[in-house]
Amino acid sequence: MEPDDFALMEAVREDREGAFERFVARFQRRLYRLAWGYLRQHDDALDAVQETMVKIYLARATYRPASHPFTWASRILANQCLDHLRRRKARPSESLEAAQEARPGSDLTAGDPRDTPEHHHEQSEFRRRVREAVALLPESQREVFVLRHFEDMTLEEIAVTRGCALGTVKSSLHRAAAAVRERLERGAREPRAGEGRG
Amino acid sequence: MSDKGRPPASTCDSVRERMTLHFYGAAEEPEALQRHLEGCAGCAALWARTVATLRSVDAAAVFPREHEVDWAGFARGTVARARAAEQAQGAVAVTPFRARTAGRRAFVWGGALAAAAMLVVLAGLRMRHGAPPPLAAAHQPGPAAEGRDGARFLQESVTRQAAARSLRDGRALLVDLMQAPVRCRRSDGSYDVALEKTRANDLLRRVSLYQGSLAGPGDRRLAELLGQLESLLLQVSAMDDCTAVQAIHDLRAAIERRQLLLRIDLVTREVEEGGTRA
Repeated sequence: MEPDDFALMEAVREDREGAFERFVARFQRRLYRLAWGYLRQHDDALDAVQETMVKIYLARATYRPASHPFTWASRILANQCLDHLRRRKARPSESLEAAQEARPGSDLTAGDPRDTPEHHHEQSEFRRRVREAVALLPESQREVFVLRHFEDMTLEEIAVTRGCALGTVKSSLHRAAAAVRERLERGAREPRAGEGRG
Repeated sequence: MSDKGRPPASTCDSVRERMTLHFYGAAEEPEALQRHLEGCAGCAALWARTVATLRSVDAAAVFPREHEVDWAGFARGTVARARAAEQAQGAVAVTPFRARTAGRRAFVWGGALAAAAMLVVLAGLRMRHGAPPPLAAAHQPGPAAEGRDGARFLQESVTRQAAARSLRDGRALLVDLMQAPVRCRRSDGSYDVALEKTRANDLLRRVSLYQGSLAGPGDRRLAELLGQLESLLLQVSAMDDCTAVQAIHDLRAAIERRQLLLRIDLVTREVEEGGTRA
């Protein structure tokens, strides 16, 4: 049986064999998705996850079980991402790179060969809108939305991992989902500025 | 629908308000909400749109490159990096502390010796010319203080030069890895990076010596570059001795993306050309 998150963290602190490996495997994708929300760039998000895991490992002796291990990890990750964004501001070339990665059409994956270029374009445009709708959420709402929508965590689990009240999680989730729905429906009604010209 | 059968507007408002939470199975009184949806065409239409819209928010759209990652391999790399970082930190905790303490002690002694030498010279001058010592001298910074300032300046300069040397060595290592990796004996196309790993570990120990000492605002770029180099060195150090081509490609991509080689060139040249701050 898999240990719960607190027991796993305790095992990491005690340097039990394989504990840190399990910790990384359990949380890396969740952290990647949170990092992506901040950075919106694949390689940077991976870097941030790895840096965060290294910091967690180095600081494992200082962890106190008053907070959930994932809360602790996500706070370290958030600081890592904010530092990165500050450096990115100082070096705008990285922002251009991020824009390039997030540009419409950049996620044209090899799909059904019967798809027409128009269909591909529509799909790509829709994905861009979905990505933007999630990325534009305020930080706390985005975190709750990602954990519930993509990670299938229960609201109670989210409340524990974020160290906040269940009501706060409910309210954040409601606002986030309503905002995503609103943006996507508005996007479907209104073509993007500049589209259809020339 | 007759007025009699239509749910009151306040109920519609309440249902619409709870609709997104209902999608996630977290709305209060879900049975009552469901009954309302079955009897109210307007709310049912909105519910259908909500379900369709939120279902369309899939991970592939929001995290378009997540599927490219070999997560098991990434986890192995992460664990190896963390352990290498701890080893490097262990090296800092023991050797560099001694080195720094010894260095500081040497500078203090150096300053004291310089001060003593200056006192001897001053005494010699007094004896030769018979002139009284100037009163103002009592309020000037003493020779020992001047010696300490000089020593600190010298120490900072030496640290910067050493940091620049580590950057150049790190750059050479990365270029070697990118341009002329040696094939492993295995026939799977992997590369032998055992030597580079040893070099990376040596460099990591050296790099960790300077980072804490480059705390001045003018040393920001140098410290930042050292941080980025350290991150790549940890990556190298965590590789298997026979590493996959993809790992080399990833490393190259990270180096090119950050324009690391060019930036190291610029900063080390500044330090070499006598710029006291980089």
